[in-house]
Amino acid sequence: MKAIRIILQIAILYAFSLIGELVHNLLHLPVSGSIVGLILMLICLTFKIVPVKIVEDGASFLLSFLPLLFIPAMTGVMNYPALFSGNGLVLLLIVVLSTIVTMVAAGIASQLLEKNANKGKENDECNKHLSQS
Amino acid sequence: MQQASIAILIILLTVAVYIAMTKLYVRFSYPVLIPVLTTTVAIILLLLAFHVSYDQYMIGGKWINSLLGPAVVALAYPLYNQRKILVKYILPIIGGVFAGLFSGMISGLLFAEVFGIDRNLILSIVPKSITTPVAIQIATGIGGVPSMTVVFVMIAGFSGVILGPKIMKWVRIRSYLGKGIAFGSASHALGTSKAFEYGELTVSMSSVSMTLCAVLGSVFGPIVVWIFHV
Repeated sequence: MKAIRIILQIAILYAFSLIGELVHNLLHLPVSGSIVGLILMLICLTFKIVPVKIVEDGASFLLSFLPLLFIPAMTGVMNYPALFSGNGLVLLLIVVLSTIVTMVAAGIASQLLEKNANKGKENDECNKHLSQS
Repeated sequence: MQQASIAILIILLTVAVYIAMTKLYVRFSYPVLIPVLTTTVAIILLLLAFHVSYDQYMIGGKWINSLLGPAVVALAYPLYNQRKILVKYILPIIGGVFAGLFSGMISGLLFAEVFGIDRNLILSIVPKSITTPVAIQIATGIGGVPSMTVVFVMIAGFSGVILGPKIMKWVRIRSYLGKGIAFGSASHALGTSKAFEYGELTVSMSSVSMTLCAVLGSVFGPIVVWIFHV
């Protein structure tokens, strides 16, 4: 019974990603179909157009093995063996360095702004939220 | 008929390797043993050993790939659960995402310029921290090579997931909010999958950052390139 429910719920999520794809094609949006689908789903959940109940099990199930879903795309690296020698290594280094810069900038900026936001407000309430997760 | 059995075999193999690698990761939990990386390496080695091409692998692989769309939509669920916190911390989120987005694109351009990389490759590096389908669109728009962008997106994902925890420790990014925004802004969906190890708040922060980066990157990517290439 639970298996059927999960499959049906994934079908709903799939439908949203297809609708997102459709909207993307119709309006020539620069953002991909699945991201449009995510935003649509969030809007529908927020305004109770779609009750959380009819997607929560499917969503949790799908997200529980999210890394698996990247593997076929990742395996495509095998078509670029040159990347792991000579000039390729330089590109690799650039991307890794730039990723580190991105991470540090995003993390530090948001952490600083978070501290500002918490200042003066009830810190207890926020700590409660953090420790729950 | 034969196509179908090949597809099923490939799917089963991928899932089996993934489960084995997840067990390995749980057992030893070194950052380099992250299942996405070890499974990908193991599968590439298997394909090379048995002389199977990537196209042949994708006969089955495309079915797993097709679940990525609904999985991205599924990220709306943790976002919805955390909606009150998202609204409360809207400023840190937007500030962090903008900091990450611009520093990522500009540092990529500058490093590539310093190392004397070809112009079309430089342009392929710009959208590396943005989720693959959107990154491809941005790369095409600004004159990069989409297939190279796909590779750079993956490297940005892997390096963020593997080096992220150590680096955040060094620079003292301690809050779950900061970690989530760092993972999502630098390493897109792959970073978000890593964020699951830190709890739902980090996941939502990471997926909201990933989404914002995709939307904002589509708008600002071409502008950044235009400013730095006049």
